[in-house]
Amino acid sequence: MKHGAPLLVVILAGAALLAARPWPAEVWQAAASLSAWLGSALLVASLMLMIREPRLSSALGGLDTMYRWHHRCGTWGYMLVLLHPLALAAQAGLLSSQMAARTLSPFAQPWPVGLGWLSLLLMMAGLAVTFSPRVGYRRWRTVHLSLAAAVLAGLLHGLLLRSGSLALMLFLLLAVLAIAFRLIAADHGALAYPYRVTQASHPADGLIEATLEPLASELRIAPGQFVLVAFGNGPGFQGCEEFHPFTVSNLNERGVLTVTIKALGACTSHVQRLQAGTHVRVQGPFGNFLPSGETRAQLWIAGGIGITPFIARLRVSPPTVPISLIYLYRHLSDAAFAQELMLLKTSIPTLELVQVETGDTAPELDTLLARVSDLDRRDVRVCGPAPLVAGLRREFKRRNLPLQQIHFESFDFR
Amino acid sequence: MMRLLFLGSTAAFWLAVVFFAMAPVPTVSEPAAKKSFTLAEVARHAKATDCWMAIDGQVYDFSRYLPKHPAEPSVIEVWCGKEASEAYRTKTKGRPHSAYASELMSGYRIGQLSATP
Repeated sequence: MKHGAPLLVVILAGAALLAARPWPAEVWQAAASLSAWLGSALLVASLMLMIREPRLSSALGGLDTMYRWHHRCGTWGYMLVLLHPLALAAQAGLLSSQMAARTLSPFAQPWPVGLGWLSLLLMMAGLAVTFSPRVGYRRWRTVHLSLAAAVLAGLLHGLLLRSGSLALMLFLLLAVLAIAFRLIAADHGALAYPYRVTQASHPADGLIEATLEPLASELRIAPGQFVLVAFGNGPGFQGCEEFHPFTVSNLNERGVLTVTIKALGACTSHVQRLQAGTHVRVQGPFGNFLPSGETRAQLWIAGGIGITPFIARLRVSPPTVPISLIYLYRHLSDAAFAQELMLLKTSIPTLELVQVETGDTAPELDTLLARVSDLDRRDVRVCGPAPLVAGLRREFKRRNLPLQQIHFESFDFR
Repeated sequence: MMRLLFLGSTAAFWLAVVFFAMAPVPTVSEPAAKKSFTLAEVARHAKATDCWMAIDGQVYDFSRYLPKHPAEPSVIEVWCGKEASEAYRTKTKGRPHSAYASELMSGYRIGQLSATP
């Protein structure tokens, strides 16, 4: 469902507005009440949007959309919650400036008010780290978890001051369930499927392709989708057991799938030494980047490791409509599947292939797009780094082409 | 974009907190404390729009506050014009008001309850 995530936000915000009734007549008191209620609703929505569950993700528009709304709700919710104590102080300031100052002092108030301050300061510190680009993934993940604790403390603060509020009890329940599901089912992998590595090869520098065989029931995956994989232990290999997203680059009818992993961080660099026999846990599938049954001609643009969903589709079920595939890579030595693509081109008559070695400079997108015929009548699907997607969006805008024509999926789940 | 919103709103928040904390403290004058009212005088203000109450020996004019009270209007309106110390202390459910409520209430004090009826 395309608009599932914003719909969830609207439902929770609507429930908050109803729960805040009767709305106070005084402006600052109304601002204090509504900012607290709406802020709580958005923060609960933000928690619910971090759940990684295939059916829920499909209903809410995909993990990419969920994470975009998770970020929006988290930031807007935080801003609304900031307004809450300020509006209370402004209301008290109508009586005296001393009262306003005392309203903002957690030490002059009952302890549930102090809990609200604790929530706010935890949120502030957590978000400061979250928005810092220099923080490594593991530290970022630990600190990000403190934000969940901050939301729980904030909801508890509200519940203690407004005892008996059914809406707040419901919000607290939803928040606890979302956090528990994320920690137990997703991060700990309670619902993951067991697989085993049967083959590992290196199609390019800093890249490993691992073939995974199901040990119990198999996941039903379509080409272009991605899975979350945690590598465990195997012969001569000790995995980091963290779930990371990888696009499936091949699959067969027996449920055997292949993932291609680039060394980008500590865990994925370690995975490059993977051996056959290693046990893995797999969750998914997620995404709908390359839906089958295309009716329009396609323009596929891949940057580096972004070639994986396209190679999966070409290997498993190549479209019958004309496809132009532009594959951009820095150097031939780190270009995965370059040889195989040349072979696929000879067996798929509708495939036009353009491979470009960019070196260390940004590709000239204007020149590249000029080589594509009927650009305005093609569906454009891009998988690559964020600057490539942003550059293509700018180029499409400059050419007055509708941005809805471009479909992309990012794998930045921070 | 989200990062900028976070940084901007956090900076604005702390500026506002500093503004409230540094606001000048008014000179304390308590003319209200010198006034005193009998219970009969309090009883003449027994409407929601003109609501006085006597609580713990003090007289309060809650006319402006009533629309802001978090509970249902009927809960507090019945105490207009009356001695409401017990109701204030127990909220009629055996639970006291918070320290914050006591502080807020002081802003509405208009005098003392006269010892003579």
